Amino acid sequence: MKQRRRLTKWLVVLLILHGIIAAAGFFAPYDPVEQDRERPYLPPMHIHMMEAHGHFHLRPFFYPLRLREGSFDQYEEDNATAVPLNFFTRGATYRLLGIVPSRIHLFGAASARVYLLGSDAYGRDQLSRILYGGQVSLLAGLLGAGITLFLGAFIGMAAGYFGGWRDDLLMRIAELFLALPWLYLLFALRAFLPLSVSPLEAFLLVVVVIGMVGWARPARMVRGVVLSVKERDFVRAARGFGASDIYLLRRHILPETASVLLTQATILVPQFVLAEMTLSFLGLGVPEPMSSWGNLLATLQQYNVLVSYWWMYLPALAIVPFFLGYLSLASALHERTSTYKIDEKSKWNLS
Amino acid sequence: MRYFIRRALHAVFLFFGVSLLTFLFSALTPGNYFDEMRLNPQISPEAVAALRAQYQLDRPLPIRYAHWLNAVAHGQMGFSFAYNSPVAPLLWVRARNTLLLTATATLLAWLLALPLGICSAARFGRAPDRVLSWTTATLLVIPDLVLALGLLILAVRTGWFPTGGLVSVGFDEFSALQKLRDLTLHMALPVTALVLATLPMLVRHVRASVAEVLDAPFLRAGAGHGLPEHKLLLGYALRAAANPLISLFGFSVGTLLSGSLLVEVVMSWPGLGPLLLESILARDLYVVIGGVLLSMVFLVAGNLFADILLYWADPRIRTAASAK
Amino acid sequence: MQPLLKVENLVKHYAAGRSAGTKVKLAALDGVSLSIPSGETLALVGESGSGKSTLALCIACLERPTSGNIWFEGIDVTALDENQQRLLRPQIQLVFQDPASSLNPRWTALDIVSEPFLVQRHFTKPDRAVRALQLLDRVAIPRKMAARRADELSGGQKQRLAIARALALEPKIIILDEALSALDCSVQAQIANLLLELQCSLGLTYLFITHNFAMAAHLADQIAVMDRGRIVESGPAENVLRSPRHQATRSLIAAMPRFIETPGVLVHS
Repeated sequence: MKQRRRLTKWLVVLLILHGIIAAAGFFAPYDPVEQDRERPYLPPMHIHMMEAHGHFHLRPFFYPLRLREGSFDQYEEDNATAVPLNFFTRGATYRLLGIVPSRIHLFGAASARVYLLGSDAYGRDQLSRILYGGQVSLLAGLLGAGITLFLGAFIGMAAGYFGGWRDDLLMRIAELFLALPWLYLLFALRAFLPLSVSPLEAFLLVVVVIGMVGWARPARMVRGVVLSVKERDFVRAARGFGASDIYLLRRHILPETASVLLTQATILVPQFVLAEMTLSFLGLGVPEPMSSWGNLLATLQQYNVLVSYWWMYLPALAIVPFFLGYLSLASALHERTSTYKIDEKSKWNLS
Repeated sequence: MRYFIRRALHAVFLFFGVSLLTFLFSALTPGNYFDEMRLNPQISPEAVAALRAQYQLDRPLPIRYAHWLNAVAHGQMGFSFAYNSPVAPLLWVRARNTLLLTATATLLAWLLALPLGICSAARFGRAPDRVLSWTTATLLVIPDLVLALGLLILAVRTGWFPTGGLVSVGFDEFSALQKLRDLTLHMALPVTALVLATLPMLVRHVRASVAEVLDAPFLRAGAGHGLPEHKLLLGYALRAAANPLISLFGFSVGTLLSGSLLVEVVMSWPGLGPLLLESILARDLYVVIGGVLLSMVFLVAGNLFADILLYWADPRIRTAASAK
Repeated sequence: MQPLLKVENLVKHYAAGRSAGTKVKLAALDGVSLSIPSGETLALVGESGSGKSTLALCIACLERPTSGNIWFEGIDVTALDENQQRLLRPQIQLVFQDPASSLNPRWTALDIVSEPFLVQRHFTKPDRAVRALQLLDRVAIPRKMAARRADELSGGQKQRLAIARALALEPKIIILDEALSALDCSVQAQIANLLLELQCSLGLTYLFITHNFAMAAHLADQIAVMDRGRIVESGPAENVLRSPRHQATRSLIAAMPRFIETPGVLVHS
């Protein structure tokens, strides 16, 4: 029972996190490609409730930043003008889930732009870019995991069910893929494909490449399940009624593989999101102006950014809650299916 | 013995398979090193064609593969177009740098993981164990890219560590002690990143293996006999828990070359990783193949090494093998 | 009149791995011959490992014998190809020993019993449900259990379900491979009586495989004793029981629990 609650808890957490990213247009105050050349590399703005001279406002506000005297990249707050935050305000048009056009954003400001997480070299709002970038990275991870699991399930079932030379051949190829360091394989695959393509094509290439790299482990696991289910008497009985191979695979064997595939999914998705981030960070993934968590971090390769503009690191932290959610879900699922448990209460203490 | 011969043959098969796969793949995909050159108006098409002929890129694929195999048999690994030098020396230098990093990090990680894991298992469920579990869980959730970048920013803002490269300028003029200090400072950051990335998983595995063994009756009997705790843990529990840990150690050895790619690129460490990345981007075919094969060799060797260790360490495997 | 089922010199080898470089073949069946007239019950008795299950699988066309012939209603089943065999299989049904593994534990009772219809694509969906419920009635499973998952049923109910499923396609012969061995004594008696009753009303032929001689004696017209892949003795049940000739038969009979009937008391000797 406790396991059930853990499972549900993390499922809900993940759903909320994904929901926020899916509704990026609503949560982001601005369009991610909207530039403001006059405000490059703005540090994150502070939100205040209390003015300098003690005046308390119910509505949070911020001070717009202006360049400090004699400096070209140091900003200070303009204490004179307090710009209030508006909630559920109208802003740039976006499409919710890509379908429904809307103009309502969670928050925004009227007379000045609010940069909660700072801005980049072109004055683009980092918060918005992180939210929209999450869509790209998460989608790449999910789709990639989908492809891998589909491939792995298909190959695993074919190998396990039909056996014989097909099984040997497929498993040898799987071992080959397992023997290769996957990061290298990823890079090699991606880089040997055309490099200068449109963002959409690049995204699809990334997804396909990621999906094709990791099929070996799920295939082996599915094959194991198939081998054990194939010998069960209820499969024999169904054959006794004249069931065809496809029927058996679809109705009896495939459902048994579901739990293995699910556990694999919770482990693979975060890995693949990370893979996309790595590829984009190194310039092999999604290019500008499309933002992904990876290419948002790419600017950190410049030394001056690393030294002076620490907020450009924040996109890296965006993935952490997702990792937490997925890994906790995986551990909860694993506990559910695993037969071995260390009994906490009867633990023998050596002291 | 037959078992090891089979494994060795298996490794050879993998070698051929991987090299063939890489060759095939490079042939099927568009673009090669010289396409970039062709776009350059300063180099005449004839010169490009001549260079291609020189590197035999215009011969059919099986012939190129055969030539390459022949070269490998003689200890050469092809030619790098970008660096204009044979591949093998290039790889050795970079591999050496990488190994310096990863061997140190792996050693450190294991030296830390073993005591931490054992203590955690011995105090299962109690305060020290819970703190450690929480810490490992937190570290696990932070991917290595995030970790490496974070450390880099830390270094940059505090100025305590150099932020890139193997050694400082003027290294050759340093005294031996200064050289050591300089190298250590440069290594500190990447090693920390690697250790932080691998430590949590190791600690978890050690803890799980030892905890599983601690349940065993023979250990309770030992405690009943009055054996002190540290003797029980180190002399008996550890040996019984060794099997999965040995496999894990073999895996650690296997990833010595390939596991640090990201950290090296982020921290500008001149190892195999950045070389591979550059070569991939420049389509420098033979360097890529050489690098991939080298790390694959390590992977396979690591598994083999683990098998040998297991054979030596666990008498049950020895008796089972000789009984066949 | 020709027998419903006739098996002639059936041989089945399994490859059992390598030892000292040569392939070791396991002869599960080493020249088995038997025949069953329509409407009768043949009990096949033998110890574990004597090859009984292998024989069952071969007759049910779920395994291909290495050599020999199986005649079903005069047709040489062994000469048919896979597709033709698939058409024939519904007539020869198999009930397995362990209902926990012969029924998919996640499926409901109704689904399990209607699976044969689904596979053979007989009837429409509502019709299938109606027929399935009728089958459940036949084996005395209360209708309210129809929606329960298989792993929620008792052992006896599970085996009844297996029998109901075997009846679905109206087979001519049912092979019961140790079908009662996994059940409690009292449940065994119930199911045995059910089987007899079904045989009476539906005119079924049974091949009843068991290691329990007493059960065989109770249910069978003919008994065949199997030992290490061969039939070592066969004949009418009474004869085999009263005057066993082969050593294997004798040891199986000796293993039976005997009951001495004294007035009012049943004593186990």
